[in-house]
Amino acid sequence: MELTQDQLIKLYTLMVRTRKCDELIVNALKSGKAIGFFHSGQGSEAVPIGACTFNLRDDDYLYPHHRGHGIGYMLARGLSPKPFVASHMGRVAQDVEGPTARERGIHGGSGTIGASFVLSAGMGITAKKNGKNQITACFFGDGSANRGTLHEAMNLASVWKLPIVWVCENNLYAQYMPLKDSMAREDIADLASGYNMPGVIVDGQDVLAVHEAVKAAVDRARAGEGPSLVECKTYRYRGHSEGGPDISHYEPRPAKELEEWKKRDPIKLFRENLLQQGVLTDADVERIDKEIEAEAETLEKYADECPIPKPEDPSVLDRLLYAE
Amino acid sequence: MKQTIYLMAIREALDEELQRDDKVFILGEDVQQGTFGTTTGLVDKFGPERIMDTPLAETAVAGAAIGAAQAGFRPVADMMFGDFMYIAGDEIMLKAAKWRFLHGGKVNVPVVIMAAVGGGMKLGAEHSMIPEAMIMHTPGLKLAVPSTPYDAKGLLKTAIRDDNPVVFFYHKGLLGLPGEIPEDEYLIPFGQADVKREGSDVTVVATSAMVQQSLAVAEQIKDKVSVEIVDPRTLEPFDLDTIIESVKKTGRVVIVDEDTKRCGITAEIGMQIMENGFDYLDAPIQRVAAANMPIAAGFMEEHVLPQPKNIAGAIEAVMA
Ligand SMILES: Cc1ncc(C[n+]2csc(CCOP(=O)(O)OP(=O)(O)O)c2C)c(N)n1
Ligand SMILES: [Mg+2]
Repeated sequence: MELTQDQLIKLYTLMVRTRKCDELIVNALKSGKAIGFFHSGQGSEAVPIGACTFNLRDDDYLYPHHRGHGIGYMLARGLSPKPFVASHMGRVAQDVEGPTARERGIHGGSGTIGASFVLSAGMGITAKKNGKNQITACFFGDGSANRGTLHEAMNLASVWKLPIVWVCENNLYAQYMPLKDSMAREDIADLASGYNMPGVIVDGQDVLAVHEAVKAAVDRARAGEGPSLVECKTYRYRGHSEGGPDISHYEPRPAKELEEWKKRDPIKLFRENLLQQGVLTDADVERIDKEIEAEAETLEKYADECPIPKPEDPSVLDRLLYAE
Repeated sequence: MKQTIYLMAIREALDEELQRDDKVFILGEDVQQGTFGTTTGLVDKFGPERIMDTPLAETAVAGAAIGAAQAGFRPVADMMFGDFMYIAGDEIMLKAAKWRFLHGGKVNVPVVIMAAVGGGMKLGAEHSMIPEAMIMHTPGLKLAVPSTPYDAKGLLKTAIRDDNPVVFFYHKGLLGLPGEIPEDEYLIPFGQADVKREGSDVTVVATSAMVQQSLAVAEQIKDKVSVEIVDPRTLEPFDLDTIIESVKKTGRVVIVDEDTKRCGITAEIGMQIMENGFDYLDAPIQRVAAANMPIAAGFMEEHVLPQPKNIAGAIEAVMA
């Protein structure tokens, strides 16, 4: 089924919003407003948006990849960005509208990279047992693909024909480790043949290509034909984490590499495509940018007003650890 | 003596041991750059064959180090965050710890498993742990928990030369801590506690960053209470004698630790004092440790991890 004009515009808008929310946290860390780590996902917006916006049902299960701390997935699934922004400022989100992560089947991000593979297998078992053609989508990075959990989970999923779609966001680096030195092959999609499941490579800068490839994998899983692997070739624009070095092993990443990838920026590519097709006009593009700019300003003000939890009052932690 | 900081002292220990023994090598994720600075620059001197950047694969990092150790090398595996040691649970807790025993004492496992541990950076439940209890609990492993640059260097050199598996925890909150170390080479034997501050009213037993926190508290309240601070430095082997000697003098004990309170090292140390020094105690032992819950992210970290006010409170309580 072809995407409608409204759907195309939605994909575009979601990518721009994802980028903006990411920039917001990067800047808030610089100004000392945000706390902790942030791993920017700038450059790879087409992966979560292309994969998750129109291919998943509300009752599907989703394990996001850690990059961008899940913002692309949340927006694609219709969640408010308020908790994302507030929590990075160390604050407790208030008055959050729209569905919760749980209501859209979103679980994780794991602090330990690669934990989601095996958990996804459990979600896959559940989806199968429920008998409602649900599927599980598990996202991971090129680095994560080196965890042994990948093997255990993919093998199990394939033997049991679990309805799982594995999506790799291959951005060529894992922290400071370039892919060429961490794997004896170039394509992560090759792994699929070892588990006798389809593995496809897709241009991760092309949001429609991601959408299509993941759609095919989702359809296959829903039809009870088992798991598939989709590898999205992409790149991260910024260093591994904010404040840290931007390096390959211990030397700066090649400047040329970034330059080349930026020529194929996923937002830029799609904007050009939509302008060319007449789906968007320059005026539309400007309006969307302005709206999202305004949303970001509102979000930041909103976060400033959310309360900082008080360690002497543990009520926000009470009832978290054990179920009644 | 010369001035240094904690992370440089660690780097120096690695540098000297790599230089001294070509059986020593380092492997781990991003060790050529070094996530915490402890291994930074070593690749320039020793090359990528001895400072090995591994794929993201903790089971293989620990496992390969242990295998190479069985075969006669002295690898140092850097697990990045201490929390990630759970990913190599079989390798560290079963293989490294037990295989000398299972091989009839004929095969040594001279590996060092090192990791950055502890809270203070608001990084949440899976990047903030100091899993001391898990290691101290496991027969077959040794555990060093340095609190100063001096201890960090001396203990790490000993760890690398030890014929047993040693877990070496460097605390994220101490990386920039200044301190003096000798110009010349030195080693610190395992199983020798260090009295970090002398006092006569109460014995505070503390490890790692909690030593520094306790020292600050002791200084603040010095007009009211004379606090003695004993740092075991290694939890296995464990120097109970120095602690008991201190208790003979003070009659009162507070144990401070950053790991979880329940079944934590405060429980073990407290019980050992009860079993071996009950007669010297004038008051029930007090302990300060992390709340029995995951380490909350952000500002709520402070609710879970021990704070100076908790240490001061426990000292007050034991003196009452
Ligand atoms: C088990 C585990 N090992 C190491 C880390 C530290 N770490 C966080 S992200 C990361 C790199 C992940 O690489 P990749 O899977 O390619 O994802 P990317 O960050 O490139 O998107 C590393 C090493 C971690 N959080 N968990
Ligand atoms: Mg990557």
